[in-house]
Amino acid sequence: MFHWLEKNPFFFAVGVFLVIAYAGIVTILPDFMESARPLKGTKPYTTLQIAGRQVYINNSCNACHSQLIRPFKSETDRYGKYSLSGEYAYDRPFLWGSRRTGPDLHRVGNYRTTDWHENHMLDPAAVVPGSIMPKYGFMFKKSADLETAYAEAYTVKKVFNVPYDKPGMPKLGSYDEAKKAAYKEAGKIVAGMKNQDVKDAYKNGDIKEIVALIAYLNGLK
Amino acid sequence: MDMELIRSLQGWGYVAMIFGLTIGFYAYIYHLYKSQRDGTKDYEKYSNMALNDDLSDSLVEEKYPQDNKKDNEER
Amino acid sequence: MQSSNAINYDYTIAKCFTVATIVLGIVGMLVGVIIAFQLAFPELSNLAGEYGTFGRLRPLHTDAVAFGFTASGIFATWYYVGQRVLKVSMAESKFLMFIGRLHFWIYILTVAAVVVSLLMGITTSKEYAEFEWPIDIAIVVLWVLWGVSIFGLIGIRRERVLYISVWYYIATFLGVAMLYLFNNMEVPTYFIAGMGKWYHSVSMYAGSNDAMVQWWYGHNAVAFVFTVPIIAMIYYFLPKESGQPIFSYKLSLLSFWGLMFVYLWAGGHHLLYSTVPDWVQTMGSIFSIILILPSWGSAINMLLTMKGEWGQLKENPLVKFYVLASTFYMLSTLEGPIQAIKSVNALAHFTDWIPGHVHDGTLGWVGFMIIGAIFHMAPRMFRREIYSKKLVEAQFWLQTTGIVMYFTSMWIAGITQGMMWRATDQYGNLAYSFIDTVEVLHPYWTLRAVGGLFFLIGVFMWAYNIYKTATSSRAIEKEPQYASPMA
Ligand code: HEC
Repeated sequence: MFHWLEKNPFFFAVGVFLVIAYAGIVTILPDFMESARPLKGTKPYTTLQIAGRQVYINNSCNACHSQLIRPFKSETDRYGKYSLSGEYAYDRPFLWGSRRTGPDLHRVGNYRTTDWHENHMLDPAAVVPGSIMPKYGFMFKKSADLETAYAEAYTVKKVFNVPYDKPGMPKLGSYDEAKKAAYKEAGKIVAGMKNQDVKDAYKNGDIKEIVALIAYLNGLK
Repeated sequence: MDMELIRSLQGWGYVAMIFGLTIGFYAYIYHLYKSQRDGTKDYEKYSNMALNDDLSDSLVEEKYPQDNKKDNEER
Repeated sequence: MQSSNAINYDYTIAKCFTVATIVLGIVGMLVGVIIAFQLAFPELSNLAGEYGTFGRLRPLHTDAVAFGFTASGIFATWYYVGQRVLKVSMAESKFLMFIGRLHFWIYILTVAAVVVSLLMGITTSKEYAEFEWPIDIAIVVLWVLWGVSIFGLIGIRRERVLYISVWYYIATFLGVAMLYLFNNMEVPTYFIAGMGKWYHSVSMYAGSNDAMVQWWYGHNAVAFVFTVPIIAMIYYFLPKESGQPIFSYKLSLLSFWGLMFVYLWAGGHHLLYSTVPDWVQTMGSIFSIILILPSWGSAINMLLTMKGEWGQLKENPLVKFYVLASTFYMLSTLEGPIQAIKSVNALAHFTDWIPGHVHDGTLGWVGFMIIGAIFHMAPRMFRREIYSKKLVEAQFWLQTTGIVMYFTSMWIAGITQGMMWRATDQYGNLAYSFIDTVEVLHPYWTLRAVGGLFFLIGVFMWAYNIYKTATSSRAIEKEPQYASPMA
């Protein structure tokens, strides 16, 4: 039998494939069914938050920041309650990160405010001397992409039954409704900011990336 | 299916695989060394496939013509 | 197709991919050195607006070295080694030549698309799988083309038995195909919602599931991109360059199956202390430890191949590259399982020890093996001597110094930061603010960046040497059987 495998590349390949695929099936598949359930209070992101999350992803903040608080005292002291699987049920993709060059951000919404973020994103070292985080001034100029954010929310609602528009859950509705809601939500953040350009743009109906990003960061609790 | 059942299937699937592969693996070791000792097959000569790999070098083991058909079906 | 003695091996495609290996190696490592300096001197992050920030460049670095430098190295060596151990020339099949060319050009286009899109911030954020769906499709196409090349060449081979390297190339092909497909399952949003960016997509998996699939992929991508094909290379190039048959061919077959079996179970170790069930975590740790055995099976096999021939290490710099590569392979396959032990992982995870570990594997093992392989191929592909032996020697020592600087500084940095994060004062309060633990790393980050720079300079020396070899070195008449000729 072994001789035969050694000279039959096709069956050899099938053998290799079976061995490696089987491992994947047994290790991963069963846990799939279990760990996908959301916690009671976990809600899907609003359109504005998704837009902010996309900014976070576009700039790979996850290259430096984790969003996973491990169950050690040193971590819960520093960042807050440790993370639970169900809290991530609406995270597509997950953003746990792999290297904590900067601090964990999973509960940053509990201890940082809009104006803190505004100053920090513009010039981190001015707020935290010694910081090595890049400056993100360009986010004050680029506009947030609500259309793509809405498309994402709409897709997960349709394809994965994410409970938008259900009782007690965020409303999505049509694009126009979602846009209006995002605009209202952004208003509260803009009110807490100082930057005049961002405020002016908002008056003209234009939401800047920084506003969406802060909406997302404030929602991380 | 409830989670209990899936878990136990997973456990058993895992055990079965470990068993199967361990047996297969050791059988293979036995096979390799036995065929070498009995002289049915000299595995070590295959090392020469790297050393004498010019197109004009002699083949270690010629591919039999009757194998051709089967091989062509492979992908 | 009938054989005729006038036919020679056809290295057209191998040469194309050799150029790609060198160019993408330079690009990827240059970006790597830049971002290493950015951590030490953060002002460097702000020089090119959004395109120059650490976050944008980091995926470019990892993808350019993994899917640029390493993948083209794999393809280049396949199109070289494949023909030789199967004893059949690409020139014997017009079809395979065509597929090879197509494979190369689609690959180049895909790489260009990757570079542009990552700089623009178009990413799915999943590490080593950052590409959005249009690029994923291109990757599937070029992977299938490579498969056609492999199995096509095998189909017309003269040698009946497949040499061990071919086993490893096949495993690379299959493993990456499976992993890549499953991890990149995504739904393009434009087609569902009819608005927004056309290339945007959303992952099929959510939260912990997404993490599980990602690290199942992430870990095994390391197996099938940075380990399996590199073993394929060393099983060919070390024996060939040194003229020594593999110490034990049987052991090489056994370690192959051992590796296939065990590697795939170990993915769980990236998720220690996360929200994944305990069960998977423990299994991940245990199998990571068992994994040392088959990995070392290959490495020891390689080192023993040189038994009684250690003199070559003095005379032949290429053998030096290969032997040091296997040594680094042993080092990092020992280090990896150590990091997978739960209590060690608690300290090491999220720190610089992890990139340190990655780099003694990638620079020492993958980098040296590919560099050494291309040095061996060059005189045969271009029919000229290697341009300068002195330069090869100098490169070897410079790069070795660079690697040592890299991983020692990262070990210290990682362990220091891990300890500081958990340190408490006498009342049980955290002793350091986060920024304290960042500032303390400055000297190590500087040292690391300089180490990386040394390696990069070595890559430039390599590129120059190969370029000179191809264009102006002394021609050779007969192909050397073993040791590569060099001036
Ligand atoms: C080069 C790595 C790096 C990148 C990239 C990076 N950061 Fe940071 N970040 C840091 C470091 C280091 C700190 C700690 C020092 C400080 O507060 O500035 C930090 C701190 C922070 C904090 C404060 C957290 C706290 O608990 O005090 C926030 C919020 C933050 N970053 C958000 C972001 C966002 C959003 C992005 C992406 C647009 C980003 N960071 C990209 C390194 C980075």
